[in-house]
Amino acid sequence: MSSTIVELDLQRPAERAEWQQLLTRLGIHNFSHREVDQIDFTLGLYEDGELVGTGSAAGNILKYIGVCNQASEPGVRFNQIASALIDRLFQQRIFHMLVFTKAQYSASFQHVGFKELAHSDQAALLENGTPDITDFIQQIPRTTQQAEQRVAAIVMNANPFTNGHRYLVEQAAHANDVVYVLVVQTDASLFTTVERVQLVKAGTADLNNVIVISGGDYAVSYATFPAYFLDSPASAIEAQTTLDARIFKNHLAPALNITTRYLGSEPTSRTTAIYNDVLQRELAPTIAVKIIERKQVAAKPISARDVRQLIKTGNLTTLDQLVPLPTAQLIKQRLPQLQARIQKGMKINGN
Amino acid sequence: MEIKTTAIAGTLESSDIQIMLMAGQDGIQIDLESDVIKQFGNQIKQVITTTLQQLNIDNVKVRAVDKGALDCVIKARTIAAAQRALAQTTPAWEVL
Amino acid sequence: MAENEARLRRTMMFVPGNNPAMVKDAGIYGADSIMFDLEDAVSMAEKDAARILVYEALQTQDYGQAELVVRVNGLDTEYYHDDVKAMVKAGIDVIRLPKVESADMIQTLEEDVAAAETEFGIPVGTTHVMAAIESAKGVLNAPAIAAASDRMIGVALSAEDYTTDMKTHRYPDGAELEFARNMVLHAARAAGVAAFDTVFTNMADPDGFYRETRHIHQLGFDGKSLVNPRQIAMVNSVYEPTKDEVVKAQKVIAAIEEARIKGSGVISMNGQMVDRPVVLRAQRVMQLAEVSNLLDEEGNYLEK
Repeated sequence: MSSTIVELDLQRPAERAEWQQLLTRLGIHNFSHREVDQIDFTLGLYEDGELVGTGSAAGNILKYIGVCNQASEPGVRFNQIASALIDRLFQQRIFHMLVFTKAQYSASFQHVGFKELAHSDQAALLENGTPDITDFIQQIPRTTQQAEQRVAAIVMNANPFTNGHRYLVEQAAHANDVVYVLVVQTDASLFTTVERVQLVKAGTADLNNVIVISGGDYAVSYATFPAYFLDSPASAIEAQTTLDARIFKNHLAPALNITTRYLGSEPTSRTTAIYNDVLQRELAPTIAVKIIERKQVAAKPISARDVRQLIKTGNLTTLDQLVPLPTAQLIKQRLPQLQARIQKGMKINGN
Repeated sequence: MEIKTTAIAGTLESSDIQIMLMAGQDGIQIDLESDVIKQFGNQIKQVITTTLQQLNIDNVKVRAVDKGALDCVIKARTIAAAQRALAQTTPAWEVL
Repeated sequence: MAENEARLRRTMMFVPGNNPAMVKDAGIYGADSIMFDLEDAVSMAEKDAARILVYEALQTQDYGQAELVVRVNGLDTEYYHDDVKAMVKAGIDVIRLPKVESADMIQTLEEDVAAAETEFGIPVGTTHVMAAIESAKGVLNAPAIAAASDRMIGVALSAEDYTTDMKTHRYPDGAELEFARNMVLHAARAAGVAAFDTVFTNMADPDGFYRETRHIHQLGFDGKSLVNPRQIAMVNSVYEPTKDEVVKAQKVIAAIEEARIKGSGVISMNGQMVDRPVVLRAQRVMQLAEVSNLLDEEGNYLEK
């Protein structure tokens, strides 16, 4: 019996069909563009000419891992695929990886060295490699008497940072000794992670008790997280948010003595509404959840989506009312580049 | 010697061990996952530690996932991971 | 070439050099030679790891009586020098050089082996070498290659690359290999080294495997390269001597013994002088009979 691992080219119809057939037999049915297009590479395990296992990676996220255990000792093929994926990522100098999978597969991944960050009834999030969540938490700045202080946190995408975000941070800063602002790390937004962190820092520079950090791999972004193994978009949001909340509650909050999480109210977005509901359910009573009424301009809540629309149209006359000075400056400076990103297909209607 | 880059060697297949080395500040710290950790955990850690000491690596974080490797395999994978982590292109002949 | 004529080399089993399960168990199948592969069976990213793994296994694992061979990476690769040094230091029996096309290549290997022996304090000449012939040029230069070094123990035909070089591929009847097989075999015999036939990879075709093995046995090959331990017993059964051969060989051995007791320099049987090739053949048959378990404790043929 000869077994080999090769790279599959999903652009080739024959290989794509064989791959999809295997996964379909294993109960995976979602092959939407949103999921498949992000894949950087796919490996296939062949035994005697037959595809019996596969796994893919999108950035540092492993996905579409499936093995057929027919005529094989359980675990053997899974371990081969997992091993090959890890090796390949290391060769690309990606030393930290995540896997988001059905809860029942968490044990298989733990068996090959992954550590579970959080799980719910449906899904589990695991990580492997370095730097891990312990390293991440260790490098977060702290005050000297943090254990006795009132500490709050806000997680935001800030795409880009608006006066609405600023208002939320101000409210938290007034009521607490220390406020952490975790900026979601994803480059699926119109503004890059570096730009967003920079704008939040600049826009809160005058608030001495605010610490702005990148959320790393631990503040989940909907845009990049796989949901192909879940039944519906709504259950995907629910599953992701549950894991996000549990990581926050079990890892970040205890380490930083965070006792309050602030959220902006969201009357129009269904996604954010689910997100806020799940957070309240998961975090209370250990962590108080404070929902702050959104700041309005001209009787309308300020929204980052409206700012992105202005950028698209190029009509910036109302911009200064919506965003702090540093954000306005950056938009004016980089308007052509930002518009080019939108032209290139960057979606601007999401959150 | 200083760890220059995170590195890995070995696989998760039967009779092998996957060794991951990362920069550390606090001696040789080993996090081991193995089905036989109760019976052989200490011995596996000892082989890894001795091999790293022979390579003059004093501060390193080790993640090891054992799949029933013999001592010679543990040693071989530790050396391979160490050479990669130290970015050494020629083998450490005196340790082999 | 001291022990060349005595050693049985019916089976040379290939073992992927980066696979601990296979490296660990290689000794349990009873192959005459075990060939750890650092070349084709190992991806570029794992060349370093495979070299170290084989090295450490050679230090600690018991491979019994098997002759231990390592196929190093080719002379033109960046891995070759470290492969040779590590394997010499490990005390390997034989280094197999792939893609040999000229006697010069073997001489280069010999110099590198000698340098490594000196560096690691191993008596110069300890490590043997062999050549894999994998191209038209290699086949045509086989006589010079086989005789290129005192360290040579054998030449092997590698048909996969050879047939590609010949603009053909392998066929069930093996007609495309006939010339190469005969060249390699003659080169080996003329130089007094062993001749190894190529691998047969289709495990689903045991009839084809037996047919090919009987054929190369008939030609006179010492044995065959193998990719699967299951093929070992199959080859051994083909190389097993017949009862007639054993009985005849026993008579020759008795004649040798008689000459020894008499203190006679001449061995004779039925009034005829027994030549050296006949003696060697008889010794080889008895050796095969013994490893095939055809003899009882006193050396008599066992009826099956």
